[in-house]
Amino acid sequence: MTFLPSCHDVQTELTEYGEGALPLSRRIGIWIHLRFCKVCAGFMRGLRALPGLAKIALGPQEEAPETAFKILAEVQAVLLKQEES
Amino acid sequence: MTKASPSEAELIQRAATGDSDAFGALVQPHLALFHNGIHRILGNVADTQDALQDALMSIHRDLPRFEGRSRFSSWGYKVCLNSALMMRRSRVRIHDMERAPPLVLGTFDERGHHMEPDHLPEWQVEAQAHGLVEQQEMRECLTRALDELPDSHRIVFVLKDLEDWETDDIARHLQLTPGTVRQRLHRSRVLLQARLRTFVLGGRP
Repeated sequence: MTFLPSCHDVQTELTEYGEGALPLSRRIGIWIHLRFCKVCAGFMRGLRALPGLAKIALGPQEEAPETAFKILAEVQAVLLKQEES
Repeated sequence: MTKASPSEAELIQRAATGDSDAFGALVQPHLALFHNGIHRILGNVADTQDALQDALMSIHRDLPRFEGRSRFSSWGYKVCLNSALMMRRSRVRIHDMERAPPLVLGTFDERGHHMEPDHLPEWQVEAQAHGLVEQQEMRECLTRALDELPDSHRIVFVLKDLEDWETDDIARHLQLTPGTVRQRLHRSRVLLQARLRTFVLGGRP
């Protein structure tokens, strides 16, 4: 195994790299690789941007589905019965 | 003169003493948030409905203990996530027994380096995505991609990247090692990123 990891290695280990879960020598190897490989650096930028993108895109919809309102009404009915008894 | 609407604090107080109308008025503005949070974790309609019902009952039961240190919506949302996790633990999941999705990477040569790197597209996430992010099309694309993930992988992505949980907390809740959490997270991220290529790549999909 060479000191510098391949593109495949880097792209397989980027989440562990991002969390600091790799041994120091591996972290340095990936860090150097990312300095020289535009494709892997871009791949990492894509992974880093994903959570923010997903949070905005999957933000709560303004309206809950009809079934959610039905469930709330059922729960309210149960509470009303408890209140009356 | 119309009567002013009761404040959230008043609604909480009345709901805690058993007023079902006050409970409805308290929960209704946050129902979409609660429902979506549960659905992201469980991924199917029937389980989501059951977990939402459990969560609403729990919220009502625990209201007397709600001290107002956080917003009601944040507190209620946490109750909903816990309810979804409990529901997940109690169900036997066929998806969990499926094989992990393949890691969708590019084409590499025998030494593991990219083939023809000059022709590979550059990810231009920052520039491209945020202008498009409000489009319903992207929401639908991500929702479909999340649905395609095995249950065991989707829940890790949701908790880590959408709910900002720490890896160790996810591992503890799901009874996995942190390494397995990171592995599942990585596969999920790579797969979702691949599905979103048309939105985040500069140039052609």
